[in-house]
Amino acid sequence: MAEIPMAETPMAETPMAETPMTGTPDGGFWTTPPGRSTLGSWLLTTDHKRIGLLYLWCILAFFAVGVLLGLLIRLELIAPGRTIMAQQTYNAVFTLHGVIMIFMVVIPSIPAAFGNIVMPLQIGAEDVAFPRLNLFSWYLYILGAAIAVVSLFTGGGAPDTGWTFYVPFSATTSTNVNVAVLAVFILGFSSILTGLNFIVTIHRLRAPSMGWTRMPLFTWGLYATAWIQVLATPVLGITVLLIFAERVLGLGLFDPARGGDPILYQHLFWIYSHPAVYIMIVPAMGVISDVIPVFARKNIFGYKTIAISSLAIAFAGSLVWAHHMFVSGMSDVAVMVFSLLTFIVAIPSAVKVFNWVSTLYKGSIYLDPPLIYSLGFIFLFSMGGVTGLVLGGAGTDVHVHDTYFVVGHFHYVIFGGTGFGLFAAMHFWFPKVYGRLYNLKIANVAAVILVIGLNMLYFPMYLLGLEGMPRRYYDYLPQYTDLHVVSTVGSWITAAGLALMAWNLWRGLRHGAPCGPNPWGAATLEWTLPSPPPTENFGPVEPEVTRGPYDFKGIEREEVVA
Amino acid sequence: MYPQVFEAAKQVDQAFLVILGFCVFILLLVSALMGVFVWRYHHTRHPHPADIDGNVWAELAWTIIPTCIVMGLFWFGWTSYTALRNAPEGALQIGVEARMWSWSFIYPDGKRSAELVVPVDRPVKLHMTSKDVIHSFYVPAMRIKMDTVPGMQTYVWFESDSTGVFDILCAEYCGLKHANMISVLRVVSAEEYAQWLSGGAAKGGDDAKGGQLLEDNGCLSCHSLDGSEGVGPTFKGLAGREVAVLLPDGSKKREIADETYVTHSILAPSDEVVEGFDDVMPGYADSLSKEDVAAMVHYLLKGGVAAPPPGRAVAEEQGCLSCHSTDGSVIAGPSFKGVFGAERLVRANGEGEPRTVVADEAYLRESIRDPGKEVVDGFENMMPAYDVESLDDGALNDLVDYVESLAGGGQGGGKEGGQ
Repeated sequence: MAEIPMAETPMAETPMAETPMTGTPDGGFWTTPPGRSTLGSWLLTTDHKRIGLLYLWCILAFFAVGVLLGLLIRLELIAPGRTIMAQQTYNAVFTLHGVIMIFMVVIPSIPAAFGNIVMPLQIGAEDVAFPRLNLFSWYLYILGAAIAVVSLFTGGGAPDTGWTFYVPFSATTSTNVNVAVLAVFILGFSSILTGLNFIVTIHRLRAPSMGWTRMPLFTWGLYATAWIQVLATPVLGITVLLIFAERVLGLGLFDPARGGDPILYQHLFWIYSHPAVYIMIVPAMGVISDVIPVFARKNIFGYKTIAISSLAIAFAGSLVWAHHMFVSGMSDVAVMVFSLLTFIVAIPSAVKVFNWVSTLYKGSIYLDPPLIYSLGFIFLFSMGGVTGLVLGGAGTDVHVHDTYFVVGHFHYVIFGGTGFGLFAAMHFWFPKVYGRLYNLKIANVAAVILVIGLNMLYFPMYLLGLEGMPRRYYDYLPQYTDLHVVSTVGSWITAAGLALMAWNLWRGLRHGAPCGPNPWGAATLEWTLPSPPPTENFGPVEPEVTRGPYDFKGIEREEVVA
Repeated sequence: MYPQVFEAAKQVDQAFLVILGFCVFILLLVSALMGVFVWRYHHTRHPHPADIDGNVWAELAWTIIPTCIVMGLFWFGWTSYTALRNAPEGALQIGVEARMWSWSFIYPDGKRSAELVVPVDRPVKLHMTSKDVIHSFYVPAMRIKMDTVPGMQTYVWFESDSTGVFDILCAEYCGLKHANMISVLRVVSAEEYAQWLSGGAAKGGDDAKGGQLLEDNGCLSCHSLDGSEGVGPTFKGLAGREVAVLLPDGSKKREIADETYVTHSILAPSDEVVEGFDDVMPGYADSLSKEDVAAMVHYLLKGGVAAPPPGRAVAEEQGCLSCHSTDGSVIAGPSFKGVFGAERLVRANGEGEPRTVVADEAYLRESIRDPGKEVVDGFENMMPAYDVESLDDGALNDLVDYVESLAGGGQGGGKEGGQ
C-alpha cells in the first residue's frame, strides 16, 4: 500500500444519476448490509465511520441550536434595556448556549466525530478497539443531550446558573439545575469511554509497520486528548454529583453556614473545565497539522516537536486551573503559582503556531478550502491565544476577569480555533466520506466571510472588557452601546457565513462532482482507500506503511481539484 | 480608556501595555509571515516544494526565546498584582456587604449607605463579604475587582488622587438582576466626606429615615414602591394586605401584613415566604438595629406611598373580604384580584343562559348596588345589595377604585388617587 493506487477510482465509474435522489452516496460503508433496514443499520451499527457520522450530525444539529441562541443573545444586547426577551429568559438563554455549545458540541466535536471517522483509517485499523462500547458512548451522548433538553421544560424552569454552575447560587436557585447536572454527568461518561476506547485503539491496533513516529499528527492530537478525557472528566462527574447532593440532600459541602466552602467548588470545577478547553483545542490542532502539509505539498516542520507539544499541553494544561480564580479570594501565593504555570502552558501552543507557519515556507501552496480554514484557524487562534497572556498576568486579569474580554478571548480560541478546526476537517475529509466534492470557490468565500464576521463579532468584546463591561449582563450602561452594536452586526455576518458554508456542503453532498480516493494528494493511510471507504476498511490484509505521513513524493493531486 | 486616579492602577496599565504590546507583535509577525509565505510560495509561483523536515536550532530558538519573554510578562503581571494587594497601614476601613442585588457600605461609625462615599487622597480598604451567593466587587476606574464570598472576608484597597464619580459593578453572575447590581463610588473632598458622614441620617423624622433605610439596605432593588412586579412582593399597599405564605416545612398559612409580620419578615424572611416568590432574601437580624427596623416597619405600614388605599378600609369594614379574596383565591364569591377589565360570564338573576360582559367600572358599581342583577356563572346569588344607605357614593368610589387597583399587572397601580 505504499504506492497510492491512483488508477482505482471506483466512484468515477458510478453514474451520477443514481445517487442524487437519495442524497447519500453509493458504495463503501454507506451500503446497507443485506437483511437490515436502513435505519436499523445506522442505529445498531458498530462501524466507527457510521458512529462518527451519527456524532457529526447530532453535533451539527446542536451547533445550529447553539448558534441560534447566540444570535438571540447578541440581538438582546444590541441596545441597553429590554430588546427581545425578559431578564430571566436571557439568563436561561446564555446558560443554555453555554451548556449546549460546551458539553454537546465543542467537547465531542472533533474527537467523537472525526476521531471516530478518521483515526482507525489513519492507523490502518479495522475499527476501534471496542466497537460496541463506541456505540454505547454515542447512546450515552444522546441520553445526556435528551436529559438536558428535558431540563428546560420540567421543574422550576430552564437552568439560569451559567454553564459553570457556581455555588452557592446553583445550590439555591429554584430552576431545574438537578436535571441539567445529571445530563452533564452522563455526557461526561460518554466522553470518558470514547477517550478510553481511543487510547486502547491507538496503542493496540496500529498497523504493525506504523511506529509512533509514523503516526499522523491528528492521531497524536487525539491520543493526547484521550488521556485528558480519561483523567480529568471523572472530576467533573464528581463535582456535578456533589451539586446534586447539595441540592437534594442539603449536604452543606459548599455552604459556609454549615462548614462548607464555596471556593472548593470552583477548584473542583476548574480541575476538569480547564483541561476541557484542551480537549476542545488539541484535536483541532491535530487537524491543522494534518491539513497544512498536504496543501503546502511539503513535510510538516518539526514533526516530533508538534507531537510532543500535544502531550506537553495535555500535561501542563492540567496544572493551571486556578487561573480562573485570581479574584475568588484564593491566597496570593496560589495566584502567583498559577499565573506562572499559565504563562508556561502558552509555550507549546506558540511553538505549534511557529511550526505551522514554517511548514508553509518554501512549500508549493494550493489555496483550497481546508487550507483557507486552517489559515483562518491560525489567525483567529492567535488573536485569541495572545490575549490569554493578558488573562494569565495576575494584575491585568484582575481588571478584565469576568468581563467581555474573557468572552472575546474564549470565543476567538474556541470558535475561531476549534470551530475552524472542525470546518477544516469537514472540508478536508468530505470527499473521503462522501466520494464527492463541494464547490471549492464558494467554500473559500464562506471562510473569508466567517473570518470577517468573527472579528467583527468578537473584537469589540476585547474593547468592551477593557472598558469594564462585565459578562452575563442583561442590561448595560449607555457608554457600552456602540461596541455592542458592532458586535451584534458581526454576529449576522458570521451567521451568513455559516449558512453559506452549510448550504455549499449540503449541495456538494447531493450534486458534487465525484472524486477518487485521494483528491488532495495526501499521504496518510485513509487516502489509500476508495472514497467512500468500504465497511471493513483495509480488509484482512494489514496495510503496510512505507512512507511518513507527510511525504508527498510521487503523489499527485486529482484532476477534480486542479 | 479610564483616567488614572490610582497609583496601583497605573502599574496595572503599564503591565497591560507591555503584555498587549507583545501580543500585537506576535500576532503581526505570525500573520505577516503567513501572508508572505502564501503569496510567495503559491504553487503558481513556486511549483516545486523544498524538502525541509525541520530545524532543531530554529525550534530551540522559538521555544527558549518566548519562554524568557513570557517569564518577563509574568513578572509585570505579578508585581502589578501585588500593588493592588498591599494596602497601606492607616487606610480608612469600610465594610462591604453584598447581597442579591445591591451593595451596602458600612462606615466605621456604623453608618450604612448604598453608594460608596470616600475622601480623596486617602487610602481606603474595603472588607467585604456576601449575605447570600458569590458576587464580585468591581470598580473599572480603579482596576480593582474581588469576589465577595458568603462566610468569608475578602478585601480590596484603592486611593483616588482626584474627586469624581465612578461606576461600581457586580462582576460575578448572581442571578436574575445581576446586571442591575450597580452602584457608584463618590470620591469627595475630606470636608465633604466629614459632612456627609455626620449628616443625612434621621433628618426629617421617622418617615424619611425609614425610606432612606430601605434604600441604603438595598430593599428597593427587589421590592417596588409603585406596585410593579419585582423579585419580591411590592411594598405598595402593604399595610393590612392578606398574604398566603409558605412555612419552611412546606405547609401554607394566611397572614395579614401587620407590624409583627413585617418585622419578622425583615429579620427572618425564610420563616414565611410569600407564595409565588422564591426564598432568596437574606435575613437582616444581625445587620440592622431594632430602631432601624422599627423605622422601616413604620414607613412601610403607615408612611407615604405604602399606606393602604382608602377603599381597602371600606372593603374591610363592609365585610367584603370575608367572601371576596384579594389574592385570586375563591372563597364564596369571585376574587377581587384581576376582576377589573376582565371578561365575565354572567347570568341574569343567577338563571338563564350565560352571557359575557366586560367588568368595567359601571359593572362593578352595579354589582355592588344590585348584585342579583348579573351573577357570575358558577356562584350563588347570595350577596346582599349595598344601597346608598349602607354605602355612600364616596365609599363606593373608594371601593371601586380599590377593586380596580387589583386588576393585576402594573395597570391598576396608578389608579388609586381617585378620579
